[in-house]
Amino acid sequence: MKISKEIILSLEILTEHKVRTFLSLLGMVVGVGAVVVMVSTGRSAQKQIVDRINRMGTNLVIVSAGKSMLIAGRQRQMNIVRTLQVADAQSILEECPSVALAAPAVSEKVNIRWEDQNVNTTVAGMSVDGFQIRGIKPQSGRIFDPEESRALKRVAVVGSTAAANLFGSADPVGQQIRIGKVLFEVIGKATPRGTDVNGLDQDDVIFVPLETAMRRILNVTYVQTIYVQARNSRLLKNAEEEIASLLRERHRLAAKPDDFTIQNQATLLEAERETTSSMTLLVGSVAAISLIVGGVGILAVMLMSVRERIREIGLRRALGALRRDIRNQFLVESAILAGVGGMAGIGGGAILSWAISRFAHWPPVISLDAAAVAFSFSVVIGVFFGLYPAIKAANLDPIQALRSE
Amino acid sequence: MNMIELENIDKTYVTASVETRVLKRISFSVQKGEFLSIMGTSGTGKSTLMHILGCLDKPTDGHYRLDGTDMVSLNDDALSHLRNNKIGFVFQQFYLLDRATVLRNVMLPLIYTKEYPEDAKEQAEKLLAAVGLTERATYRPNQLSGGQQQRVAIARALINNPALVLADEPTGNLDSKSGADVLAVFQKLNREGRTIILVTHDRNVAEHANRIILLKDGMVAEDRVISSPLDADAESRAEAEKEMSK
Repeated sequence: MKISKEIILSLEILTEHKVRTFLSLLGMVVGVGAVVVMVSTGRSAQKQIVDRINRMGTNLVIVSAGKSMLIAGRQRQMNIVRTLQVADAQSILEECPSVALAAPAVSEKVNIRWEDQNVNTTVAGMSVDGFQIRGIKPQSGRIFDPEESRALKRVAVVGSTAAANLFGSADPVGQQIRIGKVLFEVIGKATPRGTDVNGLDQDDVIFVPLETAMRRILNVTYVQTIYVQARNSRLLKNAEEEIASLLRERHRLAAKPDDFTIQNQATLLEAERETTSSMTLLVGSVAAISLIVGGVGILAVMLMSVRERIREIGLRRALGALRRDIRNQFLVESAILAGVGGMAGIGGGAILSWAISRFAHWPPVISLDAAAVAFSFSVVIGVFFGLYPAIKAANLDPIQALRSE
Repeated sequence: MNMIELENIDKTYVTASVETRVLKRISFSVQKGEFLSIMGTSGTGKSTLMHILGCLDKPTDGHYRLDGTDMVSLNDDALSHLRNNKIGFVFQQFYLLDRATVLRNVMLPLIYTKEYPEDAKEQAEKLLAAVGLTERATYRPNQLSGGQQQRVAIARALINNPALVLADEPTGNLDSKSGADVLAVFQKLNREGRTIILVTHDRNVAEHANRIILLKDGMVAEDRVISSPLDADAESRAEAEKEMSK
């Protein structure tokens, strides 16, 4: 009864001073909005990365030649290593119990020509199992079979970006293209896969049979990558260990460091989650500081309000209001200010994060937990910064308050 | 029965190093149903005395019993309750809340009672009728004349059925016709048995009461009964006729 009356009273006062109320709300709106936007976009960026990692394949373990290092957040291979062989892939498949499939692969940027079109694109030589491991499916036409691979057939499957660059709107299937100096027939077009973890377009690529690529285009005897599929997701770690010890043995490394790098999808996911989570937390906390700025805004408005209503406070005290009645009246008022500001902030923040994720082609995520935390935080801040003006009002001497001009 | 008993009330203000003794051993009592004027020029301590009578301030020394309660020993909360229950204030500047309707203004003290009465609105309407403002209930105070505003304030002062109505220069901001109207309301309330203390510097206003206490230098200089108080109703009618003939 008493509380509801205070709320009605406060609402009356607040609606009386619309501009002032709006200005003091603004800080809270921006603060809560910023937290919601930061955390939500952080989460949707994270979801985007996780989606990309998941799109790389199922239960994937990637073995790359040489020691690769993280440079500026990206995996880079330091130098060309010739020790990873097609035979390694065969032996991984045969000797590692946790491994279901293994597909060696090479890739290199090569000049491609079709009629008078001329583009530079990554040519990936990959064994047929690679399509299954990495989840690449034909959108039109077909992919090559093991027979064509063994026979060094000059057939190619183009990614959607490469197809668009090369053929424009023409149907790529059945076209004759020149990869380097060699003539190939396009037999299929792959379904688009979007960008990879590093933000590179996975569709700007032309797949050819591994042997064809090694012998006819690149003229190499070694491979750069072996894509491995573990039997199930729980065996990712086992597969990684089995492959490592097998390769160390096969490459006769003894005391020497690894000449290969193994990554599995789970570790990649974990690492990405960790970086983006801590980033989101950091940015969210910075945004939370603006909540405090919003609180200071409320403090200023409430102090102004106490000053302006000093005679009203004196009157209420004369009519029998207790100190705590006056204090509560102002506290409820600042809590309402903060609460309404918080609500508006959540609304605005949700709309803005939805717009950002749409614009950036990220999966939209609205962080309800962040919204809830920011909202409660804003009410707490409203009460906290309302406390000083409220106590100040409550402790006014009624006689002085009534007499003031 | 004594509604009010003042016993050797002293009030001394201490500012920096200067001590100012504003009230000096003031003693008097007021019976239930009296209409008393406290008169004095400015600086004689009448405001201070009024604040003490209104339980807004405590004396430095002495005893003040209001309706049987000695307020000197009470804490701030208890004093607030006392003001709420026993005293109805009428101020020179009316002090109405401009954003609330006349009716809401009259109901305002009820917010601070221990139990909000269910018939709050009916009570307020009855009091508005008693001061002749029934049809103004939904108006805002700034839509009313000064005299009307002061009558709203009187209705507000009565809402908790106080033992004492304390009016501080209630006619100070009003023209003579409105002032007479307000004084007529006080006289009517007093006839109905209400105890009223009116604080003023104006002898013409003070003489509407049954008794006048004159303060000088913080002491009671004179305490006399007025056998035939001025009739505010008659003055109001006379003022109205003067208006008409203009």
